[in-house]
Amino acid sequence: MAATTAQSALSQEEQTFADRTIVGHCGKPGALLGILQQIQEHHPHKYLTAEILEYVAEKADIPLARIYSVATFFAQFNLDPQGEHSICICRGTACHTHGSRSLLQRLRHELGLPDDDAEQTSVTTPDGRFSVRVVACFGQCALAPVMEVDHAIFGHVNEQTLERELQHLGRTK
Amino acid sequence: MAKLLSARPRIGVGMGTCGAGNGAEGVYQSFAELIDRQGRDVKLASVGCFGFCAQEPLVNVRIPGRPLVILRRVDASDAQRILDDIAAGRVTEDLALCKIEEWDHLTAHVLYGSGYPKIPSWQEIPFFKPQKKIVLRNCGLISPDDIEEYIAVGGYQSLYKVLIDAHPEMVIEQLKASKLRGRGGAGFLTGLKWEFLRKAVSERKFVICNADEGDPGAYMNRNEIESDPHSLLEGMIIGGYVMGASEGIIYVRAEYPLAVHRLNRAIEQARQSGVLGDNIFGRGFKFDIHLVEGAGAFVCGEETALIASLEDYAGRPRPRPPFPAQEGLWRQPTNINNVETWYNVAPIVSKGPAWFSETGSAKSAGTKVFSLVGKITNTGLVEVPMGTPLKTFIYDIGEGGPRGKHVKAV
Repeated sequence: MAATTAQSALSQEEQTFADRTIVGHCGKPGALLGILQQIQEHHPHKYLTAEILEYVAEKADIPLARIYSVATFFAQFNLDPQGEHSICICRGTACHTHGSRSLLQRLRHELGLPDDDAEQTSVTTPDGRFSVRVVACFGQCALAPVMEVDHAIFGHVNEQTLERELQHLGRTK
Repeated sequence: MAKLLSARPRIGVGMGTCGAGNGAEGVYQSFAELIDRQGRDVKLASVGCFGFCAQEPLVNVRIPGRPLVILRRVDASDAQRILDDIAAGRVTEDLALCKIEEWDHLTAHVLYGSGYPKIPSWQEIPFFKPQKKIVLRNCGLISPDDIEEYIAVGGYQSLYKVLIDAHPEMVIEQLKASKLRGRGGAGFLTGLKWEFLRKAVSERKFVICNADEGDPGAYMNRNEIESDPHSLLEGMIIGGYVMGASEGIIYVRAEYPLAVHRLNRAIEQARQSGVLGDNIFGRGFKFDIHLVEGAGAFVCGEETALIASLEDYAGRPRPRPPFPAQEGLWRQPTNINNVETWYNVAPIVSKGPAWFSETGSAKSAGTKVFSLVGKITNTGLVEVPMGTPLKTFIYDIGEGGPRGKHVKAV
């Protein structure tokens, strides 16, 4: 019953892609991680819909509760649509000593996002243009402070370079 | 070997993520364009990272018959004059950091040549002086994308030796005698750990590489993989043979996309060359490696949590015993080692346990790679014998706080 509802909410293309992905990973170690990673990447807003999770549960024969457990456990998985551009500030020790905390605060301020001491979740601007998140460490410590914008790593970031990058991305504010 | 010691001058641009973050890609492009446009007789390669991150981008230049010279803080605009200097048979002295006249890859020895009296040898530089490169023996010198360069410096010869000798118990004895301890932090004797798996009776066994390096400030494993992925593969294939496993898994952080990419390429090349597959070196040994990307959970660096995530569960640690060697992935006997542990395997097979235990302290043989970052003058990755005092790192290698400032905490 649940599968039919899920199926009807997904496009044919989404179903085909999911089927292929599941078959490709079936039986391999880390299959579920790989499946969810590929499906999320495939979605234009880089997130996992409730329907796709139900679909994967049915097709991969894994309990939905477990899939939900995995999807919520790992920071990489998004259950909400992400912005067009993703900006990730590194909050590792080396970056912290080079001022990444104030960089993060500045970024949030520039995008009109509330300050969040917990720094836990990914936050998206209301207009859907930018998502801001943090990572514990990129492993690029000699480039501290580090920022990743849409899969590109920027090192030695300061307020000027941050501002310039935001301008480049066409921030409207 | 012809690729490394060719009759043509060779330029190697350091293209680890650090190098790229400092503009190395622009430097590479600049060289490529000029070489092409001006028809220069120069071989251009992208190499890994030599470790001195504070001086990136690093470019190594070798004129046939002369030492390899490492140029530092190279900018795209320097490419023209570097090429002009090479054409005139000289080295760009104002950019020169150090030279290498000969290099011991441990699995092979390369003699570049002598010369350039004014340029210091690499081990005369404070940053490199206390270092001994075992794990990092190939990093920054060979191209990580080319299996032939790995083979040229003796790569996969240790594997060949192990398979030809066909005495897996001997390899375990060698590892035990070397006193190699796990480099992931727990420091358990590797030889003993391998012996547990070897003795386990099972149809199916696994060897896993834990490349989920998440400690803030740590990026040694990232560099090892990006600069010299084949060393990891060779270590695991030897391990698989010795322990009786035919399946290997490398679990890498998703935050290391370049490492993932280089590993995938290396695995592909290894398969094509027959060092991974159904009948390795024709010795009837079957082994293949599967890459899994982590999904952003720090705790998956802990071995039981890592295994849980491979089994399609959330990455929550499980009680031990049972240990992975008894019941690991899908309850089959499994051996997990850190990236750096695997890198020590081929050198130990090649040079023997006595050689290995000469380095280091009484309790800990060999070397360890450390990342030196934060508010210090010389940042980068350093490999030193176990037992090296903290002061050596901070004041000799690191040359103290920036602009003479006091270091207050480590």
